[in-house]
Amino acid sequence: MPNSRIWTLRETLIVAVLGAVFAVLYLGWVQVWLIAQALFGSLTMDVVMGFWFVASMVAAAIIRKPGVAFAAEVLSAGVQILLGSPAGLMLLVTGAVQGAGAELVFAATRWRNYSLPVMMAAGVGAAIFSFAYTWVRFDYGALQPGILIAMFTLRCVSGALLGGWMGHVIVQALYKTGALAGLAIDHDKRAAAA
Amino acid sequence: MLKARHPLAILFVCIVALVASILAFNALFQIALIALVCVALVAFNRTSPLVLGALMLPFALFGFGFLTTSVFFRQESDFAVKMAGEALLQSSGFSAGLVLFFRAIACGMVSAFFALTTDPGAFVRALMVSAKLPPRIGYSLFAAMQLVPDLAAEAQQMRIAHAMKAGRPPRRIPGPVQVFRLVIPLLAYAVRRAGRTAIALEARGLSPKGPRTVLNAPRFRRGDGVFVIIGLAAIGLCGVTLL
Amino acid sequence: MTSEPQQPDPALVAQWREVSVHYPFTTTSAVGSVDLSINRGERVLLLGPSGSGKSTLLLTLTGLVPESIPAKVDGEILLFGERVAARKPWAWAARVAQYFQDADQTLTGMRVEDEIAFALENRAIPPAVIAEKVARAMRRVGLPDAWRKRRSSTLSGGEKQLVALAATLVQEAEFFIADEPTAHLAPEAAHRLHALLTHGDPERSILIVDHRLEGLIEFIDRLIVLGRDGTIVAEGHPRIVFRERRDLLMAQGIWCPVASALDGRLEEADIAPPTAPLSIAEALAHLEPGVASPSQIAQARPAVQAFVEAYAPRVAAPSRQSPMLTQLIEADCAPSLGPVVLRHVNLSIWEGEILGILGANGAGKSTLGLCLSGLLPLKAGKRKGAPAGYAFQRPENQFTAGTVQEELLTALPDDMPAALKSNRVAEMLARWELASLESRHPFELSQGQKRRLALAALTVSDRWPLLVLDEPTAGLDAWGVARLIEQIESLHDTGRAIAVITHDLDFASRLCPRSIVVGEGGILADGPTQDLMDDAALLRRAGLVESAHRQAVRWLRRSAPC
Ligand SMILES: Nc1ncnc2c1ncn2[C@@H]1O[C@H](COP(=O)(O)OP(=O)(O)OP(=O)(O)O)[C@@H](O)[C@H]1O
Ligand SMILES: Nc1ncnc2c1ncn2[C@@H]1O[C@H](COP(=O)(O)OP(=O)(O)OP(=O)(O)O)[C@@H](O)[C@H]1O
Ligand SMILES: [Mg+2]
Ligand SMILES: [Mg+2]
Repeated sequence: MPNSRIWTLRETLIVAVLGAVFAVLYLGWVQVWLIAQALFGSLTMDVVMGFWFVASMVAAAIIRKPGVAFAAEVLSAGVQILLGSPAGLMLLVTGAVQGAGAELVFAATRWRNYSLPVMMAAGVGAAIFSFAYTWVRFDYGALQPGILIAMFTLRCVSGALLGGWMGHVIVQALYKTGALAGLAIDHDKRAAAA
Repeated sequence: MLKARHPLAILFVCIVALVASILAFNALFQIALIALVCVALVAFNRTSPLVLGALMLPFALFGFGFLTTSVFFRQESDFAVKMAGEALLQSSGFSAGLVLFFRAIACGMVSAFFALTTDPGAFVRALMVSAKLPPRIGYSLFAAMQLVPDLAAEAQQMRIAHAMKAGRPPRRIPGPVQVFRLVIPLLAYAVRRAGRTAIALEARGLSPKGPRTVLNAPRFRRGDGVFVIIGLAAIGLCGVTLL
Repeated sequence: MTSEPQQPDPALVAQWREVSVHYPFTTTSAVGSVDLSINRGERVLLLGPSGSGKSTLLLTLTGLVPESIPAKVDGEILLFGERVAARKPWAWAARVAQYFQDADQTLTGMRVEDEIAFALENRAIPPAVIAEKVARAMRRVGLPDAWRKRRSSTLSGGEKQLVALAATLVQEAEFFIADEPTAHLAPEAAHRLHALLTHGDPERSILIVDHRLEGLIEFIDRLIVLGRDGTIVAEGHPRIVFRERRDLLMAQGIWCPVASALDGRLEEADIAPPTAPLSIAEALAHLEPGVASPSQIAQARPAVQAFVEAYAPRVAAPSRQSPMLTQLIEADCAPSLGPVVLRHVNLSIWEGEILGILGANGAGKSTLGLCLSGLLPLKAGKRKGAPAGYAFQRPENQFTAGTVQEELLTALPDDMPAALKSNRVAEMLARWELASLESRHPFELSQGQKRRLALAALTVSDRWPLLVLDEPTAGLDAWGVARLIEQIESLHDTGRAIAVITHDLDFASRLCPRSIVVGEGGILADGPTQDLMDDAALLRRAGLVESAHRQAVRWLRRSAPC
């Protein structure tokens, strides 16, 4: 029943479990970012931001059902909080905003297309949403326009590459391990090959 | 003592604290909130002050980013002039940055408070009983949280297998390349485990609907009400700094 | 779909009608066309060589195949007279309890008490009743109360299996299905579990797949044998099948009870018991001194002698003059991320030695094995000697590659020429009967096939002077074990040392001149395997039970002409 929109238990668990693994990776990435920021200054955040979108890309491309991108990002935020993330409970909001950005792009293809360009577009979608959110939260209106444009561009590029492209690479590598047998991605690939 | 409290009561107080921290754009309030959380944790949860200090460090680094952004890139902050003339400390960019800095720490400490005082299992059970969280989603969350400690064990297992193929004992601490090479296998492990867990749960009758018992679910007690009242009062007390 | 609709029979619990199963991307069916039914209250044992489709057949019963594991299922399957596909797998859980072959598939990683309570929670049973049932299940299986809060993922292989069994037994379902429930259990625990599984409610129907027949086979009403092609090749009461179809079972590489081999020898000597025996005691009951005449005993003795000799190690213990290979000195061993479980271990292995490592579940054998092979750092003390190869207790832990073939290729040293490599791999695939599976993912094999692949990957190169094999016989059929013994002996002939961790004492006494017994936080005994087996007090203390063939040894002593 690859077309059904309802998640099976296996799919729900996969979303949750991916959320958890990426929560761990995200926390590791926070350390990378903090060190890089100390070295290279504050624009670093926008450069590394894209990686924090990758959970939604991977989960969505595997399960291919509505709500997956959003849920995966929110879940990984939730697990990060329980692991004691520096960003705190606010992370749930951050996760929801980023997940919504990606979800919107997948929704625009009616959850049918998960090719590399769409994944990168989803990364950009997440970047735009997250930029709007940080604007509100961190008082960006008060910053210089030049720096804002630089931040925005960097974040979109990062979303496309570290989010979309990286997500695509991870999904392909995962597919090769055979762990995705029987999931929507497997059905689609086999249908395409047949 | 705090561990005996109902997870949802703790969650409620934490959310109120977070909302207050976000709405109050004031450095003193944030500092008061931080102090409140620290005192509560040390006094009622026996958290060692050393642990608190270690927890605060990444939050501080995180907040420091906002501080520097505000100081250097604020529209009205004519940084060079300011450096030459008045004291940096009085610039509006700096004070805004300072609030952002302390707010990052305050939000961080509130979540640390939640994480340190709540058992994830009890939390999910509480959600299933009191917030009508569907059991399938509850157990998925449960499985996700239980996966995290097992990832370390599984990674260790994989390193042993890799080491054996390479013919030398595994190093005590993996290098970055090795960590990177473990990412895909660990993800594959997680996905497979999700599939197996799904079978295990379904084979023992986890159904999407219908009544089910939840064992060891936390119950609301009088102490929880007292905790909520004291918590809200304490946050209100921090608000005195706004006057 | 069958052509004519048949009326469901109320006396039948389960029925397969012309069922065959195809996994995706495979050309042959995993289960041939099978027609089979289980009666109410019947205890059925399903036997078959590794990869014949036993586990697959059990998984079709509640619809997990194809509902949760993708596959194509033809034919019709009825449970309690109802079509299986008419309900979701979870809807059968109230009436069917299932123990899967991999304990990790039965468990979900919760704490022990939650794990056991889970099925009852789903049935909305009141908390007080659940608490009482959980406590009773833990007592019956022999789980200490102190484990209630332990996470099931920090348990040893056998301990996990016990928890998984408690979690399925607690369901008290009218139909109980178990796939190799005792593969990793120490002999004493295995006996206890076999008794638990087969006694109790006479209305309860039981379907078991197991390779360990001792202590189980006496309670079985009917035996069903799947052949290599996944179809039923024999069916009937154990006594009849094991005597009349012995040649067929041997040809298929299927386990027979130890007594069956003795029965064969006695038959040759023309002094077989009147009914086919299922245990050694039964096989020799008519030959007890006092029951049988001295001439009958004299007639039987050579046969029994020959039977017993098959269990003596064929390799000799190495002389202590040969160089020492690996040594643990005052070693403290701890599982990774766990506490120290063994203290002050002193153990030496000499070149060309085959060492048995025996002990109860959770004694610390796997931990000791990993430390011995140098893969787990010691908490204290020293290890001397080259690194060793290690066959993990769970074969999956060993796999790092994407296909069976690649798994073997990457196990060879990097500097080997490619042509040589592919030759070696082809030879290994043929020897372990894996050739038709070479492009399969290692995780998509049957348990026995996984074990064979793990052993093949370890023995494909001769880079390790010492090999440590952790429960190598768990999940293997008789053919696989014969292959394993052959392989170990040929490695031994090239001067390699091998340490075998095993619960199968017959296997240990056939292979290992020397053994150690692990228990009580250290090494309890170290000496010739035969001597350890004679020490009843030691066996009891270590949670072991004497191996079946020892009863024949004792008969020989009893019946010796003085
Ligand atoms: N998920 C899967 N995908 C593809 N093929 C599979 C899968 N699981 C099992 N098989 C194949 O189906 C056949 C039957 O497997 P099954 O696990 O039922 O055997 P088994 O009789 O239980 O063997 P064992 O005694 O080794 O456990 C085997 O050849 C196996 O390789
Ligand atoms: N991560 C861990 N944390 C705590 N205890 C552990 C952990 N891993 C293993 N143990 C305990 O260490 C002991 C030794 O485990 P080990 O796997 O070596 O036993 P074993 O003798 O191989 O048992 P089995 O025959 O069941 O395989 C067990 O009692 C087990 O419960
Ligand atoms: Mg099997
Ligand atoms: Mg073990």
